[in-house]
Amino acid sequence: MQTKNSNLSIKTYLDFSQLLELYRGDHEQNRSFALKREKLLQNPLKLLLDWSNLNQFRLTEELNSKSYLSYLSRLSSIFGLLFFIIGFFVGLGLLSYSGEAPVNIIYYLLIVMVVPLLSMTLSLLSMLTHGGVADFFNHLFPLHWIEKLFSTLPFAKRVDSLDSPLSAELSKWIFIERIQLLSLLFSFGLLISLLLMVVVKDIAFGWSTTLQLSPEVFQSILASIGILWEGVLPSAIPSLELVEISQHFRLGRRVDPQMIQNADKLGAWWKFLAMTTIVYAICFRFILWLISKYGVKRQLERDFLALEGVQGILREFNTSFISTKAPKQEIHLEIVEDSIEQVSDNMYKSYNTIFGWNFLKDEIVLANDAKEIRGLAIFAVGGSSSFSEDESKAENAKESVLLFVKSWEPPTMDFIDFLEILIENREVHEVQLYPLGTVGRYYDSDAKDIAIWRRKIQGLKSKKVWVIDDAE
Amino acid sequence: MMQSSSYPKFAVVGHPNKGKSSIVSSMAYDDSIQIGDTPGTTQVNRGFPLKVDGEIIYELFDTPGFQRARRILSWLKEQEPVSADKRGDLVKKFIVENREHPKFKDEIELLEPIVNGAGIIYVVDASKPYGVEYETEMEILRWTGQPSMAILNLIGDEDYRDQWKRALGHYFRLVRTFNPIEATFRDHMELLESMAQLKEEWTKPIQKAIGILETLHQQKIEHSVDTIVSSMQKSLSYIYVAKIKGDSATKLEEKTAKLEYQKQIVKYEREHKQEIEKIWNHRSIDKAEDALLLDDIGLFSKESASIFGLSQKELIITGASAGALGGLGIDLAFGGGTLFLASLIGGAVGGVGAMVGFDNIYDVKVLGQSFGKRELTVGPMKNLNFPYILLGRALYHASVMAKRSHAQRDFVNLGDENSYTGQVIDSDMRKKLERVHVKLRARNVPKDESIKEYRDTVLKGLLGLLG
Ligand SMILES: Nc1nc2c(ncn2[C@@H]2O[C@H](COP(=O)(O)OP(=O)(O)OP(=O)(O)O)[C@@H](O)[C@H]2O)c(=O)[nH]1
Ligand SMILES: [Mg+2]
Repeated sequence: MQTKNSNLSIKTYLDFSQLLELYRGDHEQNRSFALKREKLLQNPLKLLLDWSNLNQFRLTEELNSKSYLSYLSRLSSIFGLLFFIIGFFVGLGLLSYSGEAPVNIIYYLLIVMVVPLLSMTLSLLSMLTHGGVADFFNHLFPLHWIEKLFSTLPFAKRVDSLDSPLSAELSKWIFIERIQLLSLLFSFGLLISLLLMVVVKDIAFGWSTTLQLSPEVFQSILASIGILWEGVLPSAIPSLELVEISQHFRLGRRVDPQMIQNADKLGAWWKFLAMTTIVYAICFRFILWLISKYGVKRQLERDFLALEGVQGILREFNTSFISTKAPKQEIHLEIVEDSIEQVSDNMYKSYNTIFGWNFLKDEIVLANDAKEIRGLAIFAVGGSSSFSEDESKAENAKESVLLFVKSWEPPTMDFIDFLEILIENREVHEVQLYPLGTVGRYYDSDAKDIAIWRRKIQGLKSKKVWVIDDAE
Repeated sequence: MMQSSSYPKFAVVGHPNKGKSSIVSSMAYDDSIQIGDTPGTTQVNRGFPLKVDGEIIYELFDTPGFQRARRILSWLKEQEPVSADKRGDLVKKFIVENREHPKFKDEIELLEPIVNGAGIIYVVDASKPYGVEYETEMEILRWTGQPSMAILNLIGDEDYRDQWKRALGHYFRLVRTFNPIEATFRDHMELLESMAQLKEEWTKPIQKAIGILETLHQQKIEHSVDTIVSSMQKSLSYIYVAKIKGDSATKLEEKTAKLEYQKQIVKYEREHKQEIEKIWNHRSIDKAEDALLLDDIGLFSKESASIFGLSQKELIITGASAGALGGLGIDLAFGGGTLFLASLIGGAVGGVGAMVGFDNIYDVKVLGQSFGKRELTVGPMKNLNFPYILLGRALYHASVMAKRSHAQRDFVNLGDENSYTGQVIDSDMRKKLERVHVKLRARNVPKDESIKEYRDTVLKGLLGLLG
C-alpha cells in the first residue's frame, strides 16, 4: 500500500474531485508536468496530489469540501462532546454509592468491557465486509440512527441535499472511524468519572449474580480478564480474599466493625476496574480507531485513483507527448467569389496574334486547326523561353490577341506579369484568354479549372481581358 | 556551407495547386491547414515538426508554389559562373539580395527551408500531362544541391505517370506515388521510408520517427477503445431520475422523463464522438458533422437498429448463450420483455426494426423514498439490441476517424455500412460483450476481468474494421 507516502485527506480528495470536474489539463501540459517530476512517476498518487495542488488555483468557486467538512467536523464535535458527557454520567450513575448498597462491579464490567467488545466485533465485521452486508452491520449501531435523525436538522440539510461526493465504501469507513472515536470519548468520560469518584468518595464495590458462581471461579474469570496487565500491575488484579469478602450477601446489612474494616479493602477494586476500562474500552478501541483510520486512508486512495478522469491523466503522465503541430499560425486566404464578369464565348475567326502559354508552337497550330481559327502571328510563350523574349513579343502585339492556356495548370504570377504587359500595350484592343483541356480530352476542360481562371482574371479588373468559357 | 540542424527537414514544394498542403496535412495529421482550389492558397512556409516530449525528430515544411520560376533561374544564370558545389550559395545569395523584392516573395518562402538544409519533396499532379515549364522549377531545385525526391499525386482521373516518371527521372533519384486524400497509415509510413533514403544521416532519425508514429497510432487505437468502453458503461447503466409530485407518475411526466433519458444517452454519444475525433486529430470535423450519416440516423431509429443492431436470430442466440435470459427474469414481466418473448417464440415479429421498439423497454419505476419524496426513474435500457447499436455506431465512427486522411475536407462519407455488424463481431465476441451488457443493464458493477475481456473484444472489433 502507498498509504505511508501520501498525505491524502478527505479534503484533498474532495478538492481533487471538484477540480477534475473543471479541469483535466491536456496531454502536453500533463506530460511536461510529469517529466519535471520524473522520480515520482513510480508513485502516481503523489504525482496526482502535486498536480492537484498546482492546479488548485483554478477552483475559484466555493469548495465542496468546505461545506462537507464543516458539516462533518460539526457532527463530530457535537457528538464527541455528547459522548464524553454521556460516558461521564453513565460512570457516575454506575458508581453512585449511597453508603448502603455497594456498587456491583458486574454492571461496570458490562459497560466497560462486554459492550465495547461487542461493538468492536461489529465494527470489525463491517470493516471486513462490503456493500449491503457492511451496510447491515452499520445499521446495528445506534449512531447510525442518531445521525439519520440529525441529518434532518436545518444546517445538515444543505449538505445532505448535495450529491454525496463520497463512495459508499468510503462513507462506510468514515462512519466506522467516527464510531471508534466517539466510543473512545465515551470511555474517557467513564474513566474520568471513575477516577473522580475514587478521589472524592469512598466507594464500596461488591458483586452478586443469580448464577451459581463460586468466588474461586469468579476470581479466575477476573484474573483472566486481567491477564494483560498481570505482569505490570499485579495489585490491579483482585485477590481471592477480596473476591470472597465482596460477595454481596456476605457484606451484611448493618455496619459493624468488621464491615468497616472490609470496606477499606473493598476499595481496592477500583484499580482493577480502571485497568479494565483503560485496556478494553480505551486501548483496544484506540487500536481499532487506528485501523479504521488506515482503512479510511486506503479507501481514499482507491477512490482517488478511481475518480473519473484520473486514469486519463495518469496515461498522459506516462506516455510521451507527440505533436505534429505547426508553431506558426496560418493567415487564412480570402476566397474571391466567382462571377460572370469578363466571361465570353464570342470568338473570332482570326486574330492578329495568337499566343500559347506553356505550349509548343506545334501544339498551338494543332489547336488553331481544331478550333478553326487563324492568327497573323503565332508565338509560344512561357515554358522554356525567357521572360525578356516574351516581354518583347507582348510589346509588339496589336489589336485582337488570343491567348491559349492549359486550363488544368493554374495561373502563376509569371503568367500574370506577361498578361499585364499585354494589358498595358495600347495597341492591343482585346485579349481573349482561352483555357484548353488536354488533347486526350479533345481540349475539353473541367468547369472547376476554368473557374480558377475566371476568378483570377476577374481579380485583375481589366476590361480588356476576357475568358472564353465554352464549357457547356 | 549550408547551415544544418541535427534533425532532418523536408520542404514540400512544387507548382501551385498540386496538393502540397494536402500532403503536409495528411503527414502532419493536421486538418486545419488551408487547402483550396485557388492557386496560391499557401502564401508563407510553415514548419510542422514531429516532436516527442519537446524534442524534434524531423520537420516538414509546407510552402507556396513556384510563381516566377523563370525569373529566378535567369537571375541565377546571370551570376558569375561557379562550380556545382557552390551553386547552393548562389541560391542563398538570391534570397539575401531579393528579400525585399515583392515579386519574389513566394519563391523566397519556398527556397528558404531548402537553403537551410531541408530535403526536397517535389509534388506534381500526374493525372495531367507533363510540360516543359516544369523543367525551370526542377532546374532551380537542382541548383540548391539538396537531396530530393518527387511525389506523383493523382488529383484527377487520368494517369500520365509514365510520362512524368521519364521526365522526373532526370532530376530525382526517387519518384513515388502518394495520394494524400486516400493515403492510409501504411502509405504514410512507406513514404517516410523513402524519405529516409534521401540522405545517409537522415535514415536513423526517420526510422525513429516511423517507430514513434507507429506507437502513436497504436496508442490512439487503445485510447479510442478505452473511450468507447467507458462511454458504453456510462450509457448502458445510466438512469434518469425525476422528482414527482403525486403518488404515481402522470403520462406527461413519464414521457418527459423518457425524453430526458434519451437526450442524455445521445449526449453521451456525442461527447464520446468528440473525444474520438480529438484522439485522431480531426478537430475541424464538427462543421461537417451535420452531414455525417450517423447523425441522420438517429440513435434511437429503426435504420440505426437495422444497420448496427443484431438480427433477431443473433440476438436470441447471444441472449441465451450469455445467460442474458437469467438476468432478464424480471424484465419478462414488464412490457419490454414481451417483445423479446415474442421473437423467442419464433419470428412472430418480422424484421429487425420490430425488435427496436424503444418505447416500452425502459425500466420505469416510481420509488417512494424517505420523507415523502417520490422519484420516477427511467433506465437502464432493457432493449437487448441497444448495446449493439450503440457499440456498432461507436466502432464505425472510430474506424472512419482512424482511417480518414487529414487532407480530406469533405463530409464524412459512410460507404458500405450495411455489412458492418456481421463483419467485425462474431458470435464468440458477442458472448463476451453480452456478459457485461447484462451486468450494466442490471446496474451491477461488472468484474474487472469481464471489463478487460470486453475491452479486448472491442479492440478486436475496431482492428477488424481498420483492416
Ligand atoms: N481528388 C484529389 N484532390 C486533391 C488531391 N490532392 C490535392 N487535391 C485537391 O487539389 C487542390 C489543391 O490542393 P492544395 O493541397 O491546396 O494544393 P497546394 O499545392 O498546397 O496549393 P497552393 O498552396 O495553392 O500552392 C485542393 O482542392 C485539393 O482538395 C488528391 O490526391 N486527390
Ligand atoms: Mg498549399
